[in-house]
Amino acid sequence: MKTKKNPEPVDVVIVGAGAGGATAAKVLTEAGMRVVGLERGPWLKPEHASGDELKYLNRNFIWQDPKLKPRTYRPNDREEAVVTNFSATPQVVGGGTTHWGGMVPRMTENDFKLRSIHGDVEGASLVDWPITYDELEPYYTRVEWEFGTSGLGGANRWEGRRSRGYPTKPSPLSQIGRTFATAMDKLGHSTFPMPQGMVTEPYRGRQPFSENGFWQQYPDPGTGKSSTLISFIPDAINTGLYDLRSDCYVSEILVGPDGKATGVRYQDEDGDEWVQLANAVIVCGGGIETPRLLLMSKSALFPDGLANSSGQVGRNATFHQYSFSVGLFDRDLTDPLYGWSGHYMSGCSFDFYETDESRGHILGSLIFPSNLGHPVNWSFPGRPTWGSAAKDADRELFNHTMKIGILLHDLPVESNRVDLDPTVTDAWGLPVARITHTPHWNDFAQEKWQVAKNGEVLEAAGARKVIPVNMERITGNTSHELGTTRMGDDPATSVVDRWCRTHDVPNLYVFDASFFPTATGINPALTIMANAWRCADQIIRVDSRGWAQG
Amino acid sequence: MGQAEWVTDPISTRDVDGPIYFSDEDWRTIEAAAARIIPTDNHPGATEAHVVRFIDRMLAGTQFVFAAADGEGFLRMQGREERAWAERIEQRRDLYRSGLIQLCDVSVGRFGAHFVALSCDQQDAVLEELSGEPKPTKFSFDAPEDDGLGGAPAGNQPVNEDFLSFFPLLVLNSRQGFYSDPVYGGNENRIGWAVIGFDGPPTLASTMDGSYTTKKYMIVDAEWPYERHPEVLRYRRP
Ligand SMILES: Cc1cc2nc3c(=O)[nH]c(=O)nc-3n(C[C@H](O)[C@H](O)[C@H](O)COP(=O)(O)OP(=O)(O)OC[C@H]3O[C@@H](n4cnc5c(N)ncnc54)[C@H](O)[C@@H]3O)c2cc1C
Repeated sequence: MKTKKNPEPVDVVIVGAGAGGATAAKVLTEAGMRVVGLERGPWLKPEHASGDELKYLNRNFIWQDPKLKPRTYRPNDREEAVVTNFSATPQVVGGGTTHWGGMVPRMTENDFKLRSIHGDVEGASLVDWPITYDELEPYYTRVEWEFGTSGLGGANRWEGRRSRGYPTKPSPLSQIGRTFATAMDKLGHSTFPMPQGMVTEPYRGRQPFSENGFWQQYPDPGTGKSSTLISFIPDAINTGLYDLRSDCYVSEILVGPDGKATGVRYQDEDGDEWVQLANAVIVCGGGIETPRLLLMSKSALFPDGLANSSGQVGRNATFHQYSFSVGLFDRDLTDPLYGWSGHYMSGCSFDFYETDESRGHILGSLIFPSNLGHPVNWSFPGRPTWGSAAKDADRELFNHTMKIGILLHDLPVESNRVDLDPTVTDAWGLPVARITHTPHWNDFAQEKWQVAKNGEVLEAAGARKVIPVNMERITGNTSHELGTTRMGDDPATSVVDRWCRTHDVPNLYVFDASFFPTATGINPALTIMANAWRCADQIIRVDSRGWAQG
Repeated sequence: MGQAEWVTDPISTRDVDGPIYFSDEDWRTIEAAAARIIPTDNHPGATEAHVVRFIDRMLAGTQFVFAAADGEGFLRMQGREERAWAERIEQRRDLYRSGLIQLCDVSVGRFGAHFVALSCDQQDAVLEELSGEPKPTKFSFDAPEDDGLGGAPAGNQPVNEDFLSFFPLLVLNSRQGFYSDPVYGGNENRIGWAVIGFDGPPTLASTMDGSYTTKKYMIVDAEWPYERHPEVLRYRRP
């Protein structure tokens, strides 16, 4: 028998301290609520970071170790799932934003109403969002200013109305960005500086990024890279009302006899189990861990998992596969590109974002140029791997390569889903997430077309050889895990309502990437944070009125 | 103790010169094999970069897995993470153990001598047999894409080496030893970086204090040609 005493009840307990969870913590604590944050990962600080390629990319200092936290994948129900590192995402304080690329474009107005535009698409579960761009716009602006971003407001001619520009100027141009922009211009296309989660001028006590080149997949030892670790979490801590407990793994959301959530059960680092009670529970574990936790939280009242009366928990999963064309440039003809300088990417275009049915598919994605990695992991298909041929290729091409990528705007499909693997467990003995996924034919068509188009841009840029890298299946290589607790007005077809409150449990919310009704063709974190802010405001304004004092 | 609390041991991969894990004989064999994977020509290769020392330290145990952020010492791993790495290192040791036996068997079987005693061409033939594929031929812009074996760059996914067999693991570890930060025991004096023209950081600490920057390779003063977008000026910060 344990004699220990559980921690005191609070207003809100938030599972996860990533993009969504930290935003909610900031907004709620700044409004005076007492919040406990439970984050399964460690609380690494900027001083743990440096430009060490082997440590961060190959030895996965911040990526989860697949030996401890495996996942399984199968293309469809008929096949046996196999262990893969599907959609790895850092499980640390700051979540996915700690070592990310920090691309923060906004959704377009049409992204909110794809069903109205395209009608029924066979084999897909396309829907409109229950909210509009105009409802989200004020929150986009707040996040851009509080989180710290850079860009050129208005430069994206496909963007909707915006109430304010970016707080700091666009990030500096790299040779790769210049090459991309001039080639696009030659072809009659527009480009603009990538909106970045970075500050490029002194801002809110932060100094600009040093441009040391260690950006994508590297946390920043300085204060230039915006992450919730460096912005929203300190903001919340400064209120004195945010008790963030790292290395605490939530295994179950608890419900009372009235069907309301009472709190969560979690294990601390030493394996001791605790119960944290609260007036409301906000789940922000990410698009794979959140449905997993809901499905693990089975009870007599909720035998199929929590908030799952629709059977929709985990379904309609989309993953934004990253595909690209590689351009190899001849060093006798072209100046070096120095891909490792700057911050991985530079510039982007939305010219292929909106649907043009003459392409043979619907939807589209933003495209952006980037490097092929630092020396250890730099590669291209067909690269000789050993012997003098390998050394020659490294020597001649390391500074003469770039790629132009897409983020697949994949269609939601009901059978594409996350559920619990029946046999595989993690190092804590809990069932792991199983991903069942086969792309819609439109996904393949869109991906092929855009990768080929990106190849044309590389040719226009003077590449002597262009190599398309197409997907065979979805691997989750962007860590964009979306749609698994779909937001909608109808409780029969969605899991959370327009305020991201579950239809089934009135004091249970999901504020992470899981709510996306459709995938979009952009990076999701700005939208996750803006939406979390919007929904946290609703808790403050409306839902918390009847709460007992925490 | 969570990952954020791991302490730093004041140790270096260069505290001793020779092997910590390998026998002298295995050290020499791996050194010779790495020298064929990244040969020395008019530029230094695996031998000068001390790739074998990198591999030896990788197999030595969990003490050299993660350098401290500033490169002064190594993190002392704890708990589940350490156990997972100990298991991983044990798997790699097994692969190297059986790989070394295979190298020896093929060398003796085909050329009647140990690997280290063979000529460069003979060594290449042994490695080619181990790899199960023809030795890669020189890259050309005009050749079809499938002539080498390297794959796409790692996008933004973690690299998983756990499923590699001996030869591809040896190739990858040689590359890591040639190109990773010198704190891990290879890339001596950053010669690997010099070979390919990567003007990398002088120390890990220099990536933390802002003193190392790549700005001189960028076009920092470039202004976007925003005059083509009439909206832009309206939204610009005053
Ligand atoms: C290398 C990389 C680059 C990226 N680049 C970009 C980019 O440029 N732009 C962009 O918009 N997005 C980018 N992303 C994606 C972005 O980081 C994610 O989409 C975003 O962080 C998701 O936010 P979230 O709130 O849903 O979950 P996360 O940020 O993943 O946070 C979830 C947190 O919950 C914790 N958690 C999960 N389960 C439990 C549990 N049971 N108990 C306790 N804690 C739990 C996790 O440990 C994690 O910290 C990138 C991701 C990666 C990995």
